[in-house]
Amino acid sequence: MRSVLLAIVAVGLFSQPASAYLHFRANDDGQSIVLKWQRMPLRWFARDRGVPGVAASDFQAAMSRAFATWQAVPTASISFQFAGFTGAEPFTDDGVSVLGFQDEPGMDRVLGATAFLIDVVTGEIIESDIFFNTAFLWSTAAAGTASRFDLESVAVHEIGHFLGLGHSALGETEVHADGDRRVLASGAVMFPISLGPGVTRDRELQPDDIAGVSDLYPGGGFRGETGVARGRVTRSGAGVLGAHVAAFNPETGQVIAAFTLNQSGEFEIVGLTPGPHVIRVEPLDDADLDSFFDARDPIDIAFRVTLHDRLFVAPSGGVGERFTVSVQPK
Amino acid sequence: MTIARPASATVLLPADFTTVVTEAGMIVHGRVIHTSSALTGPQRAIESLVTVQVIEALKGSPSAGANVTFCVPNGQVGRYRRVVVGAPEFAQGDEVVVFLRVRGPAIPTLFGLSQGVYRVTRDAAARAIVTPAPVTAQGPGAERVVRGDSARRPMPVEAFVRQVHTILETR
Repeated sequence: MRSVLLAIVAVGLFSQPASAYLHFRANDDGQSIVLKWQRMPLRWFARDRGVPGVAASDFQAAMSRAFATWQAVPTASISFQFAGFTGAEPFTDDGVSVLGFQDEPGMDRVLGATAFLIDVVTGEIIESDIFFNTAFLWSTAAAGTASRFDLESVAVHEIGHFLGLGHSALGETEVHADGDRRVLASGAVMFPISLGPGVTRDRELQPDDIAGVSDLYPGGGFRGETGVARGRVTRSGAGVLGAHVAAFNPETGQVIAAFTLNQSGEFEIVGLTPGPHVIRVEPLDDADLDSFFDARDPIDIAFRVTLHDRLFVAPSGGVGERFTVSVQPK
Repeated sequence: MTIARPASATVLLPADFTTVVTEAGMIVHGRVIHTSSALTGPQRAIESLVTVQVIEALKGSPSAGANVTFCVPNGQVGRYRRVVVGAPEFAQGDEVVVFLRVRGPAIPTLFGLSQGVYRVTRDAAARAIVTPAPVTAQGPGAERVVRGDSARRPMPVEAFVRQVHTILETR
């Protein structure tokens, strides 16, 4: 996978990511609250229901492995606790976080999804549930099973949301004459499109995922040992909202990215390995914008891909020199 | 409190545009005139009903001016907000083309969550455009989707509607 991605980068066509988080902004006072858990460990229940090929105990084991994957990130401080089995369905607003299989006929073509219940007065997360759609065939086999979706891979993605991460756009697809669209490569578990049945690659986190979760729950020297890129993306002098900004480290091959998330076109990319990076800005013109942003906002996707005209040097801790990338309309 | 969300929490099986058109039971171009949230159903979960006034029905029976209501699995009741990242949010005044799954007497739902909504905005010349336009292949073989491709531009809503009709006529 990494070699595929590097090849893409080498020809200047790398697709990008986003260590994007769920941000909440208060209407009344303009206060901005990042959606994140305030207390550890995070307790979760498993629904006591299996599906053909996956018993409830298999389900619980796969979830535990997926949680352990995130908990093992050395630069993040997070922990989880399995609280037991429950008969409650995941997508029920009952104050407890439940993961499980569920019939959701209104969510066709959705393998799994994560829901939050939030107290908008305090910004506190009351619960977060993850459902896995019983309309699909699932597998927990160590090497995966052809024609079945890998439960652990989808769980790793959903638990990223459970922690507060949004989608990454670090992926590339192809479209066929019959309209079928397939993933060629992805640079983050948080890329929203499935790699397909039988594929287990998304059990393993990638640099963009690690940077995102480490920024939310920093630990292990994350702030002191990695650098931050801050800047703006502008078009005719005005800020660009929704631009995808990626930092590629030629030495390590790592790609970490973010979006411009305000009308000023400001972005911040965290978790960069100290050293020079190539900065690339691109429009998210091939995606469901509703899957990334509040699509009612004026997301700009009508500009050309632009490489910053100089290398950005990430410091060892702290923020590097700010810069602005000016893009041109298509 | 509103969401400035860069986020969605789903793993999707991408549906090609032809599939979205053919499998949707109802396709409506319209404007959102009302939204409401409530704690509903046997699952006791917050959901929202979104009502769209039809500008044009591309598939299904509603006529222009009629109202169509569908359900999305998010919303806010009192101080509690339910977010299903990946489920689109709607507000009064939004102009959209929605692709709805219709199942018997149940309230319609969006086809594939975010895959079932195309936003209509106005360009600098005040033309109604669909953005982003559907990603489709131009030739017979597989084509890599390249971001920033100059050929991929917002599509006038009339062209989008024609594309839907063309698919429906050939199926």
